[in-house]
Amino acid sequence: MNLEKVVFGFFVVLAATLNFGFFIGDLQNPALHNKYELFAAVVVNLIATVLKFGDRTQIGAVHLATSLVADLQLIAATLAFGFAVYVSSDGLTAAATAGIVSLSGGALLANVVSVILLVVETVSFHRG
Amino acid sequence: MAGKRLFRRNEQRRSRRGALRLAAASAAKASATIFLIMRRMRAPLIVLIVIFAITVLGLTLIPGQDAQGRPWRMGFFDAFYVMSYTASTIGFGEIPYPFTYNQRMWVTISIYLTVIGWAYAIGSLLALLQDRSFRQALALQHFTRKVARLREPFLLIAGYGQTGELLGHWIDALGRRFVVLDLSAERIDGLELDSYNADVPGLAADVRDPGLLSVAGLDHPSCEAVVALTDDEEANPAAVMAAALLRPEVPVVARVTTRTLAERMQAFGSPSTVNPFDRFGDHLRLALKAPASYQLLTWLESGPGGELPTRGLPPRNGRWVVFGYGRLGQEVTSDLRAEGLEVTVVEPRPTHPEADMIVGDGSDPWVMAQADLDRAVGFVAGTDNDTTNLSLVAAARRSNPSLFIGARQNRPMSAPLFAAMEVYALLVPAEVIAHEVYAQLSTPLLWRFLREMPAQGDAWAAELTDRLISVCGKRLQALWKLRLTPQEAPALSGWLAGGNARLAELLRNPDDRDEPLHAVVLLVVRDGQTTLAPDGDFVLAPGDELLLAGWAAARRALGTILFVDAVREYVVTGRRVPSSWIWRKLSRVPEPTSR
Repeated sequence: MNLEKVVFGFFVVLAATLNFGFFIGDLQNPALHNKYELFAAVVVNLIATVLKFGDRTQIGAVHLATSLVADLQLIAATLAFGFAVYVSSDGLTAAATAGIVSLSGGALLANVVSVILLVVETVSFHRG
Repeated sequence: MAGKRLFRRNEQRRSRRGALRLAAASAAKASATIFLIMRRMRAPLIVLIVIFAITVLGLTLIPGQDAQGRPWRMGFFDAFYVMSYTASTIGFGEIPYPFTYNQRMWVTISIYLTVIGWAYAIGSLLALLQDRSFRQALALQHFTRKVARLREPFLLIAGYGQTGELLGHWIDALGRRFVVLDLSAERIDGLELDSYNADVPGLAADVRDPGLLSVAGLDHPSCEAVVALTDDEEANPAAVMAAALLRPEVPVVARVTTRTLAERMQAFGSPSTVNPFDRFGDHLRLALKAPASYQLLTWLESGPGGELPTRGLPPRNGRWVVFGYGRLGQEVTSDLRAEGLEVTVVEPRPTHPEADMIVGDGSDPWVMAQADLDRAVGFVAGTDNDTTNLSLVAAARRSNPSLFIGARQNRPMSAPLFAAMEVYALLVPAEVIAHEVYAQLSTPLLWRFLREMPAQGDAWAAELTDRLISVCGKRLQALWKLRLTPQEAPALSGWLAGGNARLAELLRNPDDRDEPLHAVVLLVVRDGQTTLAPDGDFVLAPGDELLLAGWAAARRALGTILFVDAVREYVVTGRRVPSSWIWRKLSRVPEPTSR
């Protein structure tokens, strides 16, 4: 067992699960989307991205690309969240919530690709 | 015939593909290091992210109060804002409301955590920037980009010691580009301090690596020659080999110090080898046989601005004494003996016995007495130690002031001492090599001239030297090449086709044709046949290649004659012809026949 692989897999899956947890629920209802979960998703996604740095294989490059996409989407979601809460006079309306959650949905797709890549990598790894 | 050509083309393509692959491998090596750096930044970045996450999360969870004392919790944006300016030690204070004690305790912990995180991350980054392998990778990338962007022909100089530096300055003065590879990083750094007109890409790298040679331009279409000048007996053949296998069509010049090495190199294509000791022996022979030829040779090899060397008169008969029987001593001795001269050799540690050899140190009075300098005519101090050589020269001169003295200078620092000694024939290996390579590469016609010139005899050389002095003065002016083709000399086509184009008619001042142009034609090449220093009655033909020596002004004037019909007409016939279209129409002069 390779500890590096464990840590890597842990963060990739955790990024996807946290993202999924935030995304699930009625698109327009702010009560069903926890801001702490979004925060955790952002942090874990960033860590997963850094873990993918410096891998020279083709699959490593795609890994990094999906992670960067997820980061971009999630950071856009947090910015939209901040804008709705602090700047917009309407506050966290149903429309704003829908925007935030759908952005995180895009990130979820990227994270799912990441997990698929992880599975493919694991399956294609032949021992001995 | 066709099949042979096809085969040849295939061969070339194959070697070019090999070169490209090598260059790609080197580029991959450079990017591999960048990946390694990214890997090494993983830990600091993750620590930083985790610390930020913990401190921000803590701030949002810890209860605070607003200005009215009501319970209030910080949002993620506020928390991130506060941590950002706190962590970066900017410290705007407690925003948006003054903190409670709970919050302050947490912020205190956060400050220490984040400072450690930043210090770790920035420290790691700076350490990486200082990292040798990282810097080498950056330098390699930078160098690769610079070489790939070269659009003009350039030389690849492998080995940038004294010789490389001299050669580089002359090549630069010619307005040509070159790329430098050297093992020593100091010499490559020195490139930036050297005042070159053009930018010189340089890389500290092992010349023996063919991949690096490819990156340095061996596979670049504009690479016109490779010069191997390292002082490493292994590196030069390696560079020659790589050049011969990867780019068989590119000329190669290599420095060698022994004959066996030169023969080893001949196995790969036909690189031109320069052996300074062999050249010194040849020059000494030439100086003995034909002092004027030798004088002309050294003058033309000295590069632009070189002053006329004095014509030495070495003794043609008598006994010579050679101190030091190393690479130089052996060459000189065999050359002198080939001239029928008697030679006494002195060597403290002989490797193999030799006729007329005295074993002993030159500083030993008994050895000096044995060498019998009083009755010798020539003396060569050829050890590889400058101090020894200088003291030998001094001792020899004391015992016999009329001796013809030759000496070898090993280090550039000793130059003023040897100059003060006023040695007649001084060998500076670095300079000999640089002169030779320069003559071969700057103008191939000059190289041809220098090789064929000694056969013309001493009186001929003396006469040509006098002609050069009368035209150009005692400093060597520009040397340039001219091709009488319709592209390079459009105005001459008609005149040359006439079959009566005398050289003397062409070399006249365009402002006043009674005055000759300050230039001398050293060589004319026609269909591979050479004519050395043709006189004024020589008849030129289309396609001739000319090597000229003269003033830069003469070169410009000749350029005008070659391109402007009216000027050519005046210079050749003395008739003033209007050059503009309107004036030609008005004066009803027929169109020039040459166009």
